[in-house]
Amino acid sequence: MNYPIWVVPIFGGGWIIGIIAIVHVFLSHFAVGGGAFLALTEELAYRRKDENLYAYLRQHSRFFMLLTSVAGAVTGVGIWWAISLVNPDGTAVLIQNFTLGWAVEYVFFVAELATVFAYYYTWDKLTKEQHLNLARMYFGFSVMTLVVINGILTFMLTPGHWLESRYWLEGFFNATYWPSLVLRLLIMFALAGMYAMVTSSQIKDQQTREYVVRFCAKWLLPIFFIGPVAGYFYLANVPQAAIETVFNGVHASGVGNFSVLARALYLSLILSGTVIVFAYIGPYLNPRGLTVRISILFLICGLTVTGITEWMRELLRKPYVVYGYMYCNGIRKESVDKLNEGGFLAQSKWSTITALPHGQNDIELGRNIFRYQCMSCHTENGYRGMKKLLGERDRDAIEGFLKTIKSRKKEDNPYLGIMPPLVGNDDDLQKLASYLCTINGQAEPSPAVSSKAGANSQY
Amino acid sequence: MTSSNLPTNKIGNWLEDRLKLSAIAQMAQKKEVPLHKHSIWYYMGGIAMLFLAVQFVTGILLMVYYVPDLESAHASILKINSQIQFGWFIRSLHSWGANLMIAVVFLHLFSSYFMKAYRKPREITWLIGMLLLVITMAFGFSGYLLPWDDISFFATKIGLDIASKTPLIGPTLAELLRGGENIGQSTISRFFVIHVAILPLVLLGLLAGHLVLVQMHGMSKPPGIDTPEKPCAKEKFFPNFFLRDLLVWILSFNVLAVLVTLAPWGIGPEADPFAPAPLGIKPEWYFLSMFQFLKLMPAFVGPFEGELVGIFLIAAVAGALVMVPFWDDGKSEGRSTLATMYGLAVLIGFIAFTIWGAIS
Repeated sequence: MNYPIWVVPIFGGGWIIGIIAIVHVFLSHFAVGGGAFLALTEELAYRRKDENLYAYLRQHSRFFMLLTSVAGAVTGVGIWWAISLVNPDGTAVLIQNFTLGWAVEYVFFVAELATVFAYYYTWDKLTKEQHLNLARMYFGFSVMTLVVINGILTFMLTPGHWLESRYWLEGFFNATYWPSLVLRLLIMFALAGMYAMVTSSQIKDQQTREYVVRFCAKWLLPIFFIGPVAGYFYLANVPQAAIETVFNGVHASGVGNFSVLARALYLSLILSGTVIVFAYIGPYLNPRGLTVRISILFLICGLTVTGITEWMRELLRKPYVVYGYMYCNGIRKESVDKLNEGGFLAQSKWSTITALPHGQNDIELGRNIFRYQCMSCHTENGYRGMKKLLGERDRDAIEGFLKTIKSRKKEDNPYLGIMPPLVGNDDDLQKLASYLCTINGQAEPSPAVSSKAGANSQY
Repeated sequence: MTSSNLPTNKIGNWLEDRLKLSAIAQMAQKKEVPLHKHSIWYYMGGIAMLFLAVQFVTGILLMVYYVPDLESAHASILKINSQIQFGWFIRSLHSWGANLMIAVVFLHLFSSYFMKAYRKPREITWLIGMLLLVITMAFGFSGYLLPWDDISFFATKIGLDIASKTPLIGPTLAELLRGGENIGQSTISRFFVIHVAILPLVLLGLLAGHLVLVQMHGMSKPPGIDTPEKPCAKEKFFPNFFLRDLLVWILSFNVLAVLVTLAPWGIGPEADPFAPAPLGIKPEWYFLSMFQFLKLMPAFVGPFEGELVGIFLIAAVAGALVMVPFWDDGKSEGRSTLATMYGLAVLIGFIAFTIWGAIS
C-alpha cells in the first residue's frame, strides 16, 4: 500500500514469484548439496587414487558450475526483482530488518561464486590436495549462504519474540530455524545425489558408472532416516493455526471437503515414499539399469517433491507474509484499526499520489483498492479470478460478502485463516463493490457507481 | 541353530516342492528383452497393467460405498467425495487411472503397430490386444454413467443413440444395454454389472491369453533391428528389465498421484432425464474422435442416413487396423509401407478429430 505494485494479468504476481522461486530453490539446493557431493566424491577419488572418478568429477563439475553459478545467480536476482515489484511492502520489511544478514549472505555468495569458478578452471593447475581443499571451501561457503537465508525464510513463518522485541537476531534464530536448517541440508544432499545420477548414468566405463550410481543412491539415505524426525520438530514449532490451515484451508465443496494444502501434503508424502523406493530398487540394486532418461525422470520426481513442499511451506504462512505481523497484501496487522477508521484509500500512501487514468470515480477508486488489497492473490479473470469467484452475485450480495471478509471474528468470517481481513471504511467497501460489479457483469447505473469526481477529490 | 538362513531355506524348499519356483525363475531368466532405440515402447504394456491393477483395487474399494440405485447413485458418489475418509483420493485414483490406462493402451497399440509386432507368429496376440482395447473402452463407457450426473447421463444417452444406428444389431443392443426405451434404473443396474463383473472377467481371460502368447513368442523386434550382420543386443528380463520396469511403474504412479492430488475428480449436478441436454455435451476424450467424425456427416449420403455411413466408415477403418496381420505379413515391402502409412493416417486422424472435438 506504500509503494507502486506490478499488476500481472491472468497469472497474478504470486505465480511470477513462485515460478522463479521454485526454480531458484532447485538450483540453490543443488549448489549446496552438490558442493558436499563434489567435496566428498573428490575425497573418495583422492583416497582411492581413482582417475576414472576424477574424470567423472571434471565432467560433473562443468554441469554443476553452469547450473548453479549462471542459472542459480540469474534466478536469485530474479526473485529480488519479482518480490520487490509484486510485494514491495513485504520486501521492505525483510530488507530493513535483516540488512546485516543480507550483507553477510552476499559476501558468502560472492565467495561461493569465486570458489566454484576457481574449482572448475584449476583442475590441471593445482595439486590434488589443493583442489580438494578448494572443493571443501566451496562447500563451506555454500552452506554459510544457507545458514543465513534459512534464518530469514523461517522468520517469515515463525518470527517469534521478534514480534515484541523487534530485535533482528531474535527473528533470525527463531523456533523453526534449526529443524528447517537440518531439513534443507537433507533435501540438498538428496537432490545432489539425484542430479549426480543424471551425469553418472552417462559414464562410459561400466565399473565406474555402477560404482558412482550406487554411491549417488546413498545420498538419499540421510533424508530417509533423519528427515521424518526433523520434519516432526519443524511442524511442532509451526503455529497451530497454520497447521489447521493445512486440513481446513481452502475447501472445494464440489470435489470434496479437503483443502489444496492437504492434497499437496499427501502428494509430497507419496512422492517422497516413491523416491526412496525408487532409489533402492533402481540405482542401488540395479545401477547398470539406470539410463539417462530414467534418471532425468527420477530427478523430476525429486524436484516435484521439493517444489510441492516449498509451495506448502509458503502457503502455511497464509494470510501473512510475516506471520502475525504483515498480511500477504502488505498491510500490517497493527494498522488495520487505523485503516478501518480513517479509510484505506485516504491512508494508502501510493494511492494518494497516483493519478487514475480514467478519472477519480468509484469504479476506478475501487479498482485501486482491489489492486492493493486483493491482487497479491487474486486476478480479475485468471488465476483465482474474481469473475469466477463472484459468480452471479449481484451488488447487494457482493457488498454482503465484503462485509463478511472485513470481519475479524472467526465466527463471522470463515475466510479469516486464509485471507487477510478486508480493510477500509464503508466508503471504501462501496467503491470496491462498484468495481467488482464490473468484473462479473453486475454493474448497473446507480448513484453509487456514477462518477463522483468532486466528492472524491481528497484522493 | 547356527545357520541364520536355515528357516529361509526351509520355507524356500517347502515352496519349491509345491510351486516349482525354480522353473519360473529359470523361465524369467531365460526371457530376454531386445535393446534398441525403440525399446522404450516395451514399457507400455507393463504400465497399462499397473493402471489396471489400480483400477481393480480402487474399484473394489469404491464398491463398498457406491449404490447402483437411481435415487442414491449420485448421492453415494458425493458421499465418497466429501464424507468418506480419503474417498476423494480413491475415486480420483479410479477416474484418472482409467483415463491414463486407456491412453497407455492406445500408446501400446500404436507402438506395437509401428514396430510391426502383429506379424507372424503374433497375429493372435494382436487380435486379443485389439479385443482388450475394446474391453478397456467399454469399461470407460460403462463406468462413465455410474455417478449419474448430468454430463454422464447425456453423454451415455448420445452414445447409446449412436450405437442404436448400427444395422441389424444396433437397436437390440441399445435396448439391451438401456433395459428399456429410456435410460433409467435398469440402465444403471446393467451398466454396474457389466462394469464390475462381466468386463473384468472377460478382460482377465483375454489378458491371460495375451500374456501367455507374449511369453511364448518373446518380445518382438522391429524389422531390420536384428540382422545376421548386426545382431541386436539383449538383456535379461529378470532382474535387469524387471527392475527397470518397476522404476517406470513408480514414475507412472507418480504421474497418477500428481493428477489425483492436484486435480481431484469432481462430480456434476445430479442427472435430470427430463431436463434439456446441456449445451456442447461431449463424450470422454477416447470417444471424441468418432463423435466428431459422426458430427461432420451430412444428414444423408445419397439414399443412406449420414450417421449410418459414418458408422460404416469408422468400422471399415477399425476393421483394416484389426486385420493388418493378414494384409501385411512382412513378405511385401510395398504392403509394409502401406501399413505404416495407414497407421500414421489413422493416428493423425484420431488425434486431429479428438482435438477438433475438444475445441469445437
